Formats: sequence, C-alpha cells, structure tokens
Amino acid sequence: MKTNSVERKYVMPGDVVIEGDHNPLANVIKSGNKIISTKIGMAEISYNGVRVMPLSGTYIPRMDDVVIGKVADMNGFAWEVDINSWFFGILTGSAVFGRQFSSSRDSMKSAFNKGECLIAKILSFDRTRDPLISVSGPGLGKIKEGEITYITSSKIPRVIGKKGAMIKLIEENTGCRMTIGQNGAILLKGTDEARTKARNAIELIGNQAHISDLNDKVISLISK
Amino acid sequence: MPAVKKRRIVDSITKESIISNLANSTRLDERGLLDYRNLEIETKILKDKTNGSARVKLGESEVWAGIKVETANPFPDTPAEGVMTCNAERLPISSQYIEPGPPDEDTIELSRVSDRGIRESGMIDVKELCIKEGERVYSVYVDVAVINDDGNLFDAVAYAATTALLMSDMNKFTIEDDEIKMLDEKQPLPIKSVPVSTTFAKIGDKIIMDPNADEEEMATARVTLVTDENGKYVSAQKGKPGGFTFDELREISVISKEKGDEIRIKIREAVKNGA
Repeated sequence: MKTNSVERKYVMPGDVVIEGDHNPLANVIKSGNKIISTKIGMAEISYNGVRVMPLSGTYIPRMDDVVIGKVADMNGFAWEVDINSWFFGILTGSAVFGRQFSSSRDSMKSAFNKGECLIAKILSFDRTRDPLISVSGPGLGKIKEGEITYITSSKIPRVIGKKGAMIKLIEENTGCRMTIGQNGAILLKGTDEARTKARNAIELIGNQAHISDLNDKVISLISK
Repeated sequence: MPAVKKRRIVDSITKESIISNLANSTRLDERGLLDYRNLEIETKILKDKTNGSARVKLGESEVWAGIKVETANPFPDTPAEGVMTCNAERLPISSQYIEPGPPDEDTIELSRVSDRGIRESGMIDVKELCIKEGERVYSVYVDVAVINDDGNLFDAVAYAATTALLMSDMNKFTIEDDEIKMLDEKQPLPIKSVPVSTTFAKIGDKIIMDPNADEEEMATARVTLVTDENGKYVSAQKGKPGGFTFDELREISVISKEKGDEIRIKIREAVKNGA
C-alpha cells in the first residue's frame, strides 16, 4: 500500500473491515488477523492503521478536549454543564474561584448562571463518573456573544480538516470566526451574513462528510 | 453517573438572539411571527396493521398516528354510542429529555388536548358507530407516537390524528338471527367535520405561531385553539404561567380561524393524494 492512499468503505458493526496486519485505531477491534468494526460508519484504511468514523453518535468526553457547553444546573459547590453528551461536565467552584473558594463567601451566580454558555477543557475523565472540566486557560471561559451551532461530534475532524485547512477555508471566505468544541458544538462569531454562510457550510459538512471533494463543495457553497 | 436531563435549557445567547429577532418581528429560522414551519403529511404508512395511518412532519417535529377500529361493549350511560379514545405518547427516541416509563405531565396534557379536539368537535359521529344498542358498538382507537420533538407537538399530533381518521375505514357488519357478523367489506368512518388545531406562544409582548422547542421553552404563555370548518371553536387549552390580554386573545381567535382554514386545505389535499 502506498503511504498516502486511503481506502474508504461503509461498514456495519461486526463487519470485517480488512484482514491482515493493520493497526486498529478507532471504533475497531482486532480479532486474530481480522479488523472488525464496532460502529456504523465509514471505514478508513490507511498506512497508519484502520479507523471507523461513525455516521452519528453522542460525544464521549476525552481528556484535554476543548468543549462548548451550557450550564444546566448549579449547587453551592459546582456547576453541572451540559456538554452535549450523556455525561454532565462538572465545573467545581474551586476551579473558578481558586483554592480559597468558600461556598459561603463566593457567590456562584456571580461567575456562571443557569443557561450561560462556556468554553471549557476536560481535565479528567473515566467512564465511571462525570468528567471534571476547567475554564482556566487561554480562550476558555464564558461566551458573551455569538451563535452556537451543532454537528455530530464524530464529524468534527472534518470541520477542522487537515491541519486546520477547513476552518481556515471557511473563516477566510466568510469572515466568520469559529471556535470548535470537540463535543460537536461550534461557536460562530461575526456578522449575520457571515454566520449564516458558515452555518450552511457546517451543515453541508455534516450531511456530506464522507464525500472526497468536500473542499470544492464548501468553496462553491460559500462563494455563491 | 450518566446524566438525566430533566428539562430543555435554552442557552443565554440563543435566548438573546430570539428576543432581539422578535423585536424586529423576525425569527431565528427566518419565519414571520405567524408562519408555520413546513408541514408534510403522508398517509397509509402503516397499511397492513391499521385501519388508517398518517405521518406528520412539522419542521423537525415528527409524529406517527395509527387507527384501529374494533368492536366493544358500550358504556352503560351511552348504550347507543360508539367509543373513541385518542392517546398520544412521546417516545424516548424523540428527545433527550424524555425517559422510558410512565408518561409525565406534559405527555398527559398532550394526550388529553388531542383527544379533546377530536371528541368535542364531533368529528366522528359516535351514534353511527352503534352496531346493536346496549350490546355492541365500534370502538375507535387513535394512537399517536411522537418520533421527534422540536416543539408544537399539540398541532402535529392533532393533524396526524385527524388525517389518519379521515383515511380510516372499518368493517361492515350484518345481523343474522341476533348474531352480529363482521364482514370483510370496508366502509369509511362516519366523519362529520375536520377540526384543526393552532398553537400560539407569547414571548415578551410578541405573539408567535407554531413555536419550536426553544421558543416553546422560553414562552411565558401558550394557548391552543381548535376550530372546525364552520368557524366554531371546539376546544382550547392554555398553558404556562403567563397570561394573555383580552385584545391579544381576540386577535388570536381571528388568526386561528384563518390559519386553520389554510391547514385544513393541506390536510384535505394529503387525504385526496393518499386515497
């Protein structure tokens, strides 16, 4: 196999994607010398290994992911953040107010209120409990303006493109600034027209992520 | 702990943009204040197992309705009348805020409002559903399932139930020597009118029609009016804690009839295409 060629095909759970010595990357298991898919989606067989890109699915948190969420609930010690997953992100009071945090002295509402949106990073996660998130870091924190649009989280790599090529393409052609959350939420900032164009481009990527000439399609949609 | 999402939350930036759009009399999905989303009605989707069926898509909201006509004993207080029940349920697949289990308050309200619209309009002439007085009557079961929830289920469920009933048939019967015999031959249901439901929501001081899920959650007040083709109001349901002024209600009642007529034409068309 050539180093840069990628073979793609649709697979169902249980389908043998390929036989032989390949590296299982994502959503596949290795059984003997067979690589078997565990999701419905598009299998990609490349020099690096075999991965299946699920057609849809809920976001499963991973450490160090940047996510966009909204505050669903709060108590005296922490905020529960809806991060578009079946887990809530837990933002503790001390992650916002610092180690001196005291639930009687600091007003939780002064930092984040119910329904407010934020960009956060996942600090730690294992599947047994809700992920801890943090808003301290460059680019993280409360979202004050813009618009959030959603896409299946498995298609986020397509929105980003190779080394950010797709983001760059959309941003340069529409004048809309995008912040991408790995959980499938995308924050758009810009004029109404720019946001509409970017939103349509993202929608196109969501519907046709598997098409190979995606770049050209996006360009022709934006420049219309 | 997997999250149990109890209630839809409209995030603060969406809320702001909905309100600022409404101030200019536009909406986020570029509709006018009194515009309905794209309404698609399909019939005969569950052909083999039901007497009549319909699928309604109102924007992203999708509901399926199925009718089953059977025979039953009449209720003692109405020995000469058939039985009609309309039931709606929201499946867990419809939204992330619905869990399996007994229906919650909102689902029960949905179910009762859709039943009331059909029952009080006299859409089905229950007297003609009588086979033998005091002994045997037809029973019409209308079951509506919500497949996808993007707001305004009251209307979507009502349209699906109405269309399915218009498409529905029932077996003929004969009485021989006091024995009731059901025949394979079919006849249409005794339909007397076509009720159409319209739903209004109030956000701030603006009144909008066909609210989507976010708008519905944000609304301070909601009212559903059902009218029939003679311009009669057959049922109404007010929801949410806020209120309407007299002038607003007067306006709503006029618009309800106009929009109702438009939608009735669409329902009739779907029935004609499906027949």
